[in-house]
Amino acid sequence: MKPFKYLSPTTIEEAISFFGEHSQTSKYMAGGTDVIVKVKEGLMEPDFLISLKNIEEMSSLHKNEATGELFIGALVTHAVLEKSLMIQNQYPIIYDAVSNIGSLQVRNMGTIGGNLINAVPSADGAIPLIALDGVALLHGPDGERSCEVKDLFIAPYETILKPGEILKKITIPPQVPLTGSAYMKFGRRAAMELPLIGIGVLLTLDDDLKTCKKARICLGVAAPTPIRALKAEKFLTGKEINEEILIEAGNIAAEESKVRDSVRGQAWHRKEMIRVHVKRMGLKCLEIIKNGA
Amino acid sequence: MTNSNKDLTRDFSVVGKPIPKLDAAQKAMGRAEYIQDIKMPGMLYGKILYSKFAHANIIKIDTSKAKALPGVYAVLTGEDVPKKMKMGFYKDNPPIKKGKVCSFRDEVAAVAAKTPEIAKKALDLIEIEYEELEGVFDPEKAMEKDSPLVHEYHKSNVLKLPWSLHYGDVEKARKDAAFVVEGRFSTTWVTHCCMGTSGALAIFDANDNLTIYSNTQIPSLAQKDFLEALKTMGLSNKRVRVIKPIIGGGFGSKLDTYAYEHIAILLAHTCRKPVKIVFDRQEEFTATSTRQPTIIDIEQGCDKDGKLLFRDIKMILDNGAHTSWGATTPSVMMMPITSLYRVENVRYDAKCVYTNNTYSQAMRGYGNPQATFAIESNIDMLAQKAGIDPIEFRRINRNHPGDITPQDFKITSCGLDLCLDAAEKQLRKNYSKEKGVGIGVASLIHVGGGARIYKSDGCGALLKMDDYAKVDIFTGGTDMGQGLDNITAQIVAEELGLLVEDINVVHSDTDVCPWDVGAHASRSTFVAGNAALGAAKKVKKKILEFGSKILDAPPEDLVLKDRLIFVPNDPEKSMPLDKLLRKAHFSPGGTMLMADHFYDPANENMGKDFKGNMSMTYTFGVHGVKVKVDEETGKVEVLEYVAAHDVGQAINPLLLEGQVYGGVVMGLGYALSEEVVHKNGKNMNANFRDYKLFTAKDAVKITAPVLETPDKDGPFGAKGIGEPGCVPTAPAVANAIYDAIGVRIKDLPITPEKVLAAIKKRDE
Amino acid sequence: MTTNISFLLNGDEITCDIQDHWTLLHLLREEMGLIGTKEGCGNGECGACTVIVDKLAVNSCLFLAIEADKKNIETIEGLASRDGSLHPLQQSFVDNGGIQCGFCSPGMIMSSKALLDENPDADQEEIKHALAGNICRCTGYIPIFESVEAAKKLVAENKGGQND
Repeated sequence: MKPFKYLSPTTIEEAISFFGEHSQTSKYMAGGTDVIVKVKEGLMEPDFLISLKNIEEMSSLHKNEATGELFIGALVTHAVLEKSLMIQNQYPIIYDAVSNIGSLQVRNMGTIGGNLINAVPSADGAIPLIALDGVALLHGPDGERSCEVKDLFIAPYETILKPGEILKKITIPPQVPLTGSAYMKFGRRAAMELPLIGIGVLLTLDDDLKTCKKARICLGVAAPTPIRALKAEKFLTGKEINEEILIEAGNIAAEESKVRDSVRGQAWHRKEMIRVHVKRMGLKCLEIIKNGA
Repeated sequence: MTNSNKDLTRDFSVVGKPIPKLDAAQKAMGRAEYIQDIKMPGMLYGKILYSKFAHANIIKIDTSKAKALPGVYAVLTGEDVPKKMKMGFYKDNPPIKKGKVCSFRDEVAAVAAKTPEIAKKALDLIEIEYEELEGVFDPEKAMEKDSPLVHEYHKSNVLKLPWSLHYGDVEKARKDAAFVVEGRFSTTWVTHCCMGTSGALAIFDANDNLTIYSNTQIPSLAQKDFLEALKTMGLSNKRVRVIKPIIGGGFGSKLDTYAYEHIAILLAHTCRKPVKIVFDRQEEFTATSTRQPTIIDIEQGCDKDGKLLFRDIKMILDNGAHTSWGATTPSVMMMPITSLYRVENVRYDAKCVYTNNTYSQAMRGYGNPQATFAIESNIDMLAQKAGIDPIEFRRINRNHPGDITPQDFKITSCGLDLCLDAAEKQLRKNYSKEKGVGIGVASLIHVGGGARIYKSDGCGALLKMDDYAKVDIFTGGTDMGQGLDNITAQIVAEELGLLVEDINVVHSDTDVCPWDVGAHASRSTFVAGNAALGAAKKVKKKILEFGSKILDAPPEDLVLKDRLIFVPNDPEKSMPLDKLLRKAHFSPGGTMLMADHFYDPANENMGKDFKGNMSMTYTFGVHGVKVKVDEETGKVEVLEYVAAHDVGQAINPLLLEGQVYGGVVMGLGYALSEEVVHKNGKNMNANFRDYKLFTAKDAVKITAPVLETPDKDGPFGAKGIGEPGCVPTAPAVANAIYDAIGVRIKDLPITPEKVLAAIKKRDE
Repeated sequence: MTTNISFLLNGDEITCDIQDHWTLLHLLREEMGLIGTKEGCGNGECGACTVIVDKLAVNSCLFLAIEADKKNIETIEGLASRDGSLHPLQQSFVDNGGIQCGFCSPGMIMSSKALLDENPDADQEEIKHALAGNICRCTGYIPIFESVEAAKKLVAENKGGQND
């Protein structure tokens, strides 16, 4: 591993100023589970590694009970999310996703912010946050700005973050009653997988417990970046939800995806898995809503 | 040497007990030293540069920048390798290539430096100009006339190997058969994935004698290879000491000697310093050998009552660019082909074909899993065609004790019937057919009493006892985690009436241990066990003779047990064994007890027609599996697994179960998840993320009934069990999937993609 | 780029100079000679290098040594008592065939320890979930699950003894 100087700022401002001093040769690091691998492999060769781990305000996970907003600091680890009873009970789609990222060892180090900024097409962490209409707060040399999580990604390993900019936290807007959400990672093994395809579904029903008020269908590995299946979402909205309708939504989502063949899996099968799991996750959402209602 | 029947039925004190592995505590404490952990004063670190192309001419190599890097001690290329230094039984593989590379795995240069980081940097500074050549990656294409040649001097891509046999009359039997079923099966590359990567540390003394620490399963044969290597370097009549440290798994991967070992030797000799090469994980995936991939055309037929009449197999093996023991797997594939079930008419023809892919090696089961996948899948197809229950079909054709198979294998003990019963009982317990759920079985035959594939199948043991009745036994056998140290200690302790902690087992050091052909073919318990037992018997005889004088009793009345020598029911005539040994030592004309024994089983080398009793005894087993197939995704879930084996006598049930569980899960990986993906010769998944080993979450419930049919030639009746666990796994799974959803997958691994594609085809 | 750090290692206070880019695995193995922690892949994909940092199991191959500063580090070398007696987990891995080649064992035992320290009653599913990042090629995992189950009982008995 190429030697570097390790810097450990305690505030975002300090981090940004460190970065400003050596912007060409600095890299930010959160949990390190991706960055250290890249440095080891020579894919990244920073002279200065700016660790964000000691920035306390980026490490908090809390819900504003008055407004119903959920705040996830970018440095919150997958394991903290996984173990949080609040996440398990109120945001099952986040739990589904983060509890199967890598190993427990990796989840103890890896952060939700790092997972997003790494911007792999398969980012398990991104799918639920997109489904929940999460908003990312960015902080850079020019101050703060925010964007929807779905708009963070430009291409594989590429985000809209400008040099020196840091993803500070993600805000999840209040959950509407009669909402259910679920995520499924499809892989060959039961653990330690990058998904062959990742499918997150969120449904909100009308008071009749039948009509779809809002739908989110989010897909990982279905395109160069995490995507929403907008046509399928539109198709579901306003319809009475049942298995047939969900099958049709799955078909639409599969068709609008841009799946590819790769070493890990074949495009046709990925498409099939979108069909099947949009239906299955949709049914799981209905079950969650009914159990909650 | 055989044991008396008395031995087979008596109550054991130590044998048959689940005694924990002797080195487990030091491993649990993190004190065990692997090659990764060994350092020597002044030691340098070696690294290897591999080819950038699957097939290319090397136009120019410039090592000047690498040599100029501070901390670099040596840079070697193919020019620096003695012309006659070639590896593998086919001698087609120099440790560093010159002129031309034939696979991505081909070594083109090597460096020794003060630190691993400097060595790595030096590799980056080596400049090589290549001229890329057209490659061939499909063995069937490689057999075509206009295919590029992997080795021009060889004139053809087909190796000149003799793998062809025909017993009985297959053509006539085919005409006589009421039912005939054919199929084409294929298996791909999988790899051992030893958790401890490969490595070697070479040191020359001032007189050019070599000591090499290496991850090897064949200390004695490696010594021979390295002596030959030294000779090519102009170092004749030198000594070679091979020491195998504790290794992080073997599974067959270390049954040959490799480029990294030869390169460590060359670098150490060039630098006059100890040089260690340890693979990183990516290298372990790309630069070690795989299981032999195969394409298998099989046809079997039976009469109207289900009696198997013939088996006809043609096979193509992708040899890769160089030749190691993968190319000789057909010699073991012959075993299930000629001898699994009674079948009189057998034909087998195998071709090994050079390609620009990686080359293969031995891997647990050594060809047997591939052949058994085809045979046992096809048996189910045949049973179905004949309208006979697949388990019943196997019962009809099962082997019996006393059988002599068409290949002249003499079946001594055989518990195949018991295994079928046990597997069926477990599998059908509480079983009722549900949608998407199915059961399947597959049987196995494997060598259980050595395997004579080399001129000698022997193993030596030296045993000495000290004044305190402690034993040091020096065995040729190699422990690689499977537990030969325990087996040896338990056998010796049983024979001498001692406790396991009284026995110190020294192994894997050619300076002090006798010769052994290697830890392969599930032979160590049987062969090394018999060697240890032979030495213990000789010492015991001396103890009894001396004890007879001291205790004034006939030797045949004396018993050794619990560290005592005594006459049963005669309290007067009893003495602690250590006291007796001291008396023997410290008396006029004193003696100390030592013995040696070389056990070479009375098995036979195969003749030109491949006939000959390869093993002293054969191990049988039946695996049964219950699966659930998700028909929307193609995903197969293993609900339950039963692995029934006929083991002779279990020397240590704890270790035995460990071998079976580990074998089964390795077999399940072979069946369902594991494959080394190659794209035009390039390894595309050289990491644990993309090479899908089973994780703890994928582990399945396994029942492992042990059927004890003590073997007359085995030590205390034992047979080998190291490999059988992974032999019939894949066909059992494939058969269960067919039972569940009516699709037959003939290509490993059985991925969700393949299953779903087959389901779609079925529903068309 | 040398930095001085202090941390607790298996109960001992350690102060030393390190290079910023060293991993904790490098510090332990190459600089301190603690060879018990193994490197199986270097990429956080096998778990052989698992150590416990402030009660959490982590891959020491991805954890920078500099981040051990002010932390409590536990490695396999610290498990046995100073009188040499094995930790209940070590003992049950030995007794239940949880160890064959042994290369995954230190990491496997450390992952198990982190689990049982946090959740002494972990059930089978929780054990599998906690050990899913520790690859074993020898045992088929079954004896490892049995080892952790047995250790649970030993730990409970030991605790009971202390309370009496």
